Amino acid sequence: MNPPVPNVLAELAGLLVKNAMPGVPEAERASDLGLSAALLGVAAEMWDRQAHILVEENRAVRALLGEPGEDADLRLSVLQAENDRLRGALVVAHAAAEATGDTARQDAIWAELVAATDRRRLSTAPV
Amino acid sequence: MAHPLEGRLAAYIAGRMPLATGVAVTDLERISGGASRETYRFRLAWTEGGEARQRKLILRRDPPASLIDTERRVEFEAYRAFRGSAVPVPEMLWLEEASEALDHPFFVAEEIAGFQASPQVLLSGAYDAVLPKIATRKWTILGEIAKADPAAAGLTSFMDAPPLDACWSRELDHWEALIDRDEAEPLPVTRAAIRWLRANPPPPAQKLSVVHGDYRTGNFLYDEAGDIHGVLDWEMCHLGDPLEDLGWSLQPIWSFGSGRVGGLCTEAEAVAAWEAASGLKADPTALKWWTLFNCVKGQGIWVGSAAAFNSGGNRAPIMIYPAWWLINAQERAMLKVMGKL
Repeated sequence: MNPPVPNVLAELAGLLVKNAMPGVPEAERASDLGLSAALLGVAAEMWDRQAHILVEENRAVRALLGEPGEDADLRLSVLQAENDRLRGALVVAHAAAEATGDTARQDAIWAELVAATDRRRLSTAPV
Repeated sequence: MAHPLEGRLAAYIAGRMPLATGVAVTDLERISGGASRETYRFRLAWTEGGEARQRKLILRRDPPASLIDTERRVEFEAYRAFRGSAVPVPEMLWLEEASEALDHPFFVAEEIAGFQASPQVLLSGAYDAVLPKIATRKWTILGEIAKADPAAAGLTSFMDAPPLDACWSRELDHWEALIDRDEAEPLPVTRAAIRWLRANPPPPAQKLSVVHGDYRTGNFLYDEAGDIHGVLDWEMCHLGDPLEDLGWSLQPIWSFGSGRVGGLCTEAEAVAAWEAASGLKADPTALKWWTLFNCVKGQGIWVGSAAAFNSGGNRAPIMIYPAWWLINAQERAMLKVMGKL
């Protein structure tokens, strides 16, 4: 999830302080607070599930790439860095499977990509 | 309390209205949204020929960093080109490309007041009876944009005119480069879509058209009778393949989860209205290419908004929301267009 949640929450905290002060034009206050509420709702939805999503996804991609290992450090920043590494390697593997015409491998990668977008899907997402 | 921009804006406008006295700006307030330009509405009052006058106007000012980096002159001239045509647009008044007057470049335009733009309001159920009428109007207007002659509209002086067989590569190169620059984490579906687009290019454009660049539900003003009174947000306007705009209007993100294109109708109904108005054909294979391309373009915008936030260039919440809400949804939209979902 990018921008990272901690950075966004820090920004929203500052924004709430600003909007608690007098003199902020009403339309700007309404816009800021409405968007802040929507973002807090997204952050709340991600809070409980994010580590699980990353661990599950990292495991699935490792299996596709034939890599051993498990996530030992469960901090979100560490899981995300490993996820970035693995998904970067998956992009390369997918392109290679297309270049060699390996349709079975392409199908396996597509299946994981569909599953990944399903895991990450927000309840309010338009697709 | 008066907005700090009011006095400066009044001074600027007074310099552009030599016959006016007592020029005053009041009720200036920022309109929500506006991730690529800061948009304000205000009331201009002045005296001319002994008569007191008032007008509701819009100020569009460049922000410190934008969701979409574009030239404001392109947007200004695009609006002007369609003024008085079958494509309803507000009147453009003044363009200022220097930063002295209001810290950033800006333009001032007529406010088309009293109408809605919000997709949420349109799709709330209250407008269900007029959605078919709005749909027909929406894609008829887009057909009119596609039909227009860019040279006759005076736009070839402000916009590059690519060869017909290079419209697709020019756009794909542009948006892929922005994704290369801005993506904060790997996007496997987006990368697969880009490879597919390059391996399966569309035929040359039928004609060189004006491409609005962001023609979707949310960027036009509608009323309760189902009429459309203004097409807005021309900041990504350029010249290219007429199917590009049609593909953007059909890309699944703009269904808003309704299952209908643009939240309004079936794809067949939208394409039929567009073809009838434009006199052009939407070849299904070419249209699939342009719809998928527009999914990639959307992703370029969403990752760009995250990059603008992360770099500190623009920390407004509007820069976060598209990235959080739409990056994964956009990959799902690509899967859908590619027949994988």
